[in-house]
Amino acid sequence: MASAPTSKYNSHSLENESIKRTSRDGVNRDVGEPLPRLPGEIRITDKEVIYICPFNGPIKGRVYITNYRLYLRSLETPIFAFLNEEKFNVDGWTVYNPVEEYRRQGLPNHHWRITFINKCYKLCDTYPALLVVPYRASDEDLRRVATFRSRNRIPVLSWIHPENKTVIVRCSQPLVGMSGKRNKEDERYLDVIRETNRQVNKLTIYDARPNVNAVANKATGGGYESDDVYHNAELFFLDIHNIHVMRESLKKVKDIVYPNVEESHWLSSLESTHWLEHIKLVLTGAIQVADKVSSGKSSVVVHCSDGWDRTAQLTSLAMLMLDSFYRSIEGFEILVQKEWISFGHKFASRIGHGDKNHADADRSPIFLQFIDCVWQMSKQFPTAFEFNERFLITILDHLYSCRFGTFLYNCESAREKQKVTERTVSLWSLINSNKDKFKNPFYTKEINRVLYPVASMRHLELWVNYYIRWNPRIKQQQPNPVEQRYMELLALRDEYIKRLDELQLANSAKLSDPSASPSSPSQMMPHVQTHF
Amino acid sequence: MEFAELIRTGQAQAELLRGPEEPPLRGTLCITGHHLMLSPGPQATPDLWLLLLRNVDSIEKRVAGDSGTITLRCKDLRVLQLDIEGVEATLDIARSIEALSSLESVITSFPFFYRPKGLRLGDAWHFHPPECYYKRVARETNAWRLSEANEDFSLCPSYPRAVIVPRAVDDSALARSARFRQGGRFPVLSYYHAPSGTVLLRAGQPLTGPQKRRCSEDEDLLRAVLAGARPGARGFIVDTRSPQAAKQARMTGGGTEAKAAYPGWKRLHRPLETGRPLQESFVRLVEACGDLEQSMDRWLNRLESCRWLSHVKETLSTACLAAQSMEQEGACVLVHGAEGTDSTLLITSLAQLILDPLSRTMAGFQELIEREWIQAGHPFQLRCAHSAFSHARPKHEAPTFLLFLDCVWQLGRQFPLSLEFGEGMLLALFDHAYASPFGTFLCNNEKERCLCEVRTRTHSLWSGLSQPKEQRKLRNPLYVPNPLAIWPSAEPQSLRLWQGDPPPPPWRSSRLCSASLPVLFLLRPVSARDPST
Repeated sequence: MASAPTSKYNSHSLENESIKRTSRDGVNRDVGEPLPRLPGEIRITDKEVIYICPFNGPIKGRVYITNYRLYLRSLETPIFAFLNEEKFNVDGWTVYNPVEEYRRQGLPNHHWRITFINKCYKLCDTYPALLVVPYRASDEDLRRVATFRSRNRIPVLSWIHPENKTVIVRCSQPLVGMSGKRNKEDERYLDVIRETNRQVNKLTIYDARPNVNAVANKATGGGYESDDVYHNAELFFLDIHNIHVMRESLKKVKDIVYPNVEESHWLSSLESTHWLEHIKLVLTGAIQVADKVSSGKSSVVVHCSDGWDRTAQLTSLAMLMLDSFYRSIEGFEILVQKEWISFGHKFASRIGHGDKNHADADRSPIFLQFIDCVWQMSKQFPTAFEFNERFLITILDHLYSCRFGTFLYNCESAREKQKVTERTVSLWSLINSNKDKFKNPFYTKEINRVLYPVASMRHLELWVNYYIRWNPRIKQQQPNPVEQRYMELLALRDEYIKRLDELQLANSAKLSDPSASPSSPSQMMPHVQTHF
Repeated sequence: MEFAELIRTGQAQAELLRGPEEPPLRGTLCITGHHLMLSPGPQATPDLWLLLLRNVDSIEKRVAGDSGTITLRCKDLRVLQLDIEGVEATLDIARSIEALSSLESVITSFPFFYRPKGLRLGDAWHFHPPECYYKRVARETNAWRLSEANEDFSLCPSYPRAVIVPRAVDDSALARSARFRQGGRFPVLSYYHAPSGTVLLRAGQPLTGPQKRRCSEDEDLLRAVLAGARPGARGFIVDTRSPQAAKQARMTGGGTEAKAAYPGWKRLHRPLETGRPLQESFVRLVEACGDLEQSMDRWLNRLESCRWLSHVKETLSTACLAAQSMEQEGACVLVHGAEGTDSTLLITSLAQLILDPLSRTMAGFQELIEREWIQAGHPFQLRCAHSAFSHARPKHEAPTFLLFLDCVWQLGRQFPLSLEFGEGMLLALFDHAYASPFGTFLCNNEKERCLCEVRTRTHSLWSGLSQPKEQRKLRNPLYVPNPLAIWPSAEPQSLRLWQGDPPPPPWRSSRLCSASLPVLFLLRPVSARDPST
């Protein structure tokens, strides 16, 4: 399920040579195109159906029955986003502008500069065009460092602390290999990063992988920054497992909730999926990153192997904990757009949009896991996020839906080549044009509050409203009655304030001296804090 | 008996640790007949800290050098630590607490001495007698009457003086039926569901014995119930034991209703555990929650092996079954287990919460507790003698009432707007059931309460809770009256462990969260020394 939740095909047949490979962009795909058949395979009947996928909801399609197999073809072409003619009054593509986002963070400054060295994606084809690097590193340095980092994903700035100016830097593993190769430029480059912060004399490197995996990666040319080469850095392993482990874990979650919900040993079966344990490890890792930056006053470098899965989880979650801006609706969109989409989380490979090979080893629910972590945080801090659960579920639904271009393709360069922003609609257009639906009524804006969620098994829950939402027996009231009631109460409060306003106005009009009239009552009232 | 004989020390200097969130308290410790008191020095806050000794479930003392440490584990699941100067003083205080907290006499207990300002004795005691409920029933139907056959508690010592029975059955028939039921608990009306015209009854098991005895008055009584509902009405007998257990009970004189003897009634078995297994489950759960060292990787497994949540699940689904039979099938329901004072009351009271919007109001819920638990003869004194920490061998202890509160909490979680009272109310009831300055939960039944003159000599909890400053803590601010039945989901995925207050936000602390891990399930913070202070 996790491997190809979106596959619009339900064919269980072996790969058929005669099926011509569907073009990836799907633009020219004809819905009426005949069903590809094996020699001797005869179509018996076909019928329009709605296939209720437990994780993606209903998919409209036509099921073809031949003398050999069942074949479901979605009525939507695989990449519907390119045919989508929806119009919204907001353009979601304008939500994220890297220059503006870096300016919001106070960049460039005298330690960090914005570089366009990757404008044509020559330095690193999976990175965005615009990067923030140390002021003291020349473009030539960057090119040399790139040769020593897996897929040329050099260390670049993700976030800078507004006060203590420590930074979160992301990259991929160094190409140390079996022979223990070194690269002077890479070592100097990390030292330059360290020197941008003089509060502590060590740079902290978080390797998201388990120690053994990092060592094993040496065999394939990768590795990690060892102490004896990077003298001024401390390396910690965060023990987060790879995409294959996560995929298998979610598969087990599926097995206990579908087609039948496991009942007799629910808790131990849930535990045996290890899904919550993985969530715990990801959150714990992110908490460490955030704590190091905020309290430890140390700059951190985060990487895993290629720096597009676990790294994205860690940096984005840490940023969510540190920076209240990302907890607003638009801020979160920017966070996803920046740390995930622009920095090349391989959405196309991980989700498999329009690809029928759902056993592909590249599939993995990494982004889903990130959203689950965000949901866990929103449970623990019910007033800290501007968005509600529906917002998160909507993002996940459209992660798979192909209705919007937002999550298509693996990296920015591919998206640019396909002119995604011109030819598709952004998911954020849908959300931002109807923001009220996605707002958390309990949200209380707080600046500079760092959130440290409790990443303990006792406080993590299975996200029942997402994973088991299709099951009518697991009843839940939608929309959330508490939210609704709260909004009613807020409306009532506003009404009373208004009425008080009017009454006082009427009262003051009666008074002979108009200059003595009191100021508006709503101004006089202290801001009513409604906490639960 | 004089308390003074048991108090072995005047006073001592001590420091009290109440948990990671609260600062330690230093001052002079002293013991009275009912309380442990800590009076802070002049420089600290002037508040006096008080603990009802009856609340102490277990006590542990340790001495080292010239000071000692006493750890008190309370019935309300708090864990307190006292660091006391002087070895002798420590031992004396520990011995005094041990002696005073285990006094069994009811009439020397604190409620008989508690005289708060602003409350008048006897105020709320006539708040919820069965007569009130009968008035409600009589407005809807004529088939029932209030019988005072139990005026002197001779029919059934665990029933109140007045009970509601079918109009067609006279008092002498009730007396015969009482002799046929365990503990004299003949079938009485528990709830009348007006929309369907059906009733919920409760009783003790019939004493059929190995000879399969019958009792025609008992049979008549149940026949009259069906006749009073509507022509052709059916009935379900929900037996809270397994068919085997019910059959086995015959060997010891009990049993269950024979099919042939009760036409129109169908028996359903829904085994619910009570007594020892339930108490053990509670102890294991509290142990698991308090064990912060254990590897968290096995938490869910451990939680499951406590079986507490499966008790919640079974209870809720049986209550749903009873409620459903009434509302949707239009059938009358009789609930009983063996004695009819534990799981029976769980089911009848929960079924009412599901069906009856009035019982979900503040006043209605208190009335429900008074009528279906206290007056219905749940033996609070026996069941709540000890909580989860006691090392004493459990005799009659069982957290049946806590299980009920947990089920209500689950209802409230699934229907956050439909209960007028909030978690604060449930926590207060839990605390007061185990140790209270009020007399409401004293004794095991009405007969004992009369003997001890509880009504005239102690204050009622309900008047204590009706104080405006209490009310704020007890109410659910989101309450909107909901006229419908609320059907909870009893799937394991829908149930949660009752964690008590939401975890305090660990923000503004630069420490990582593990240091301020809030403890679960009503668990007040464990008082271990916070490593960072």
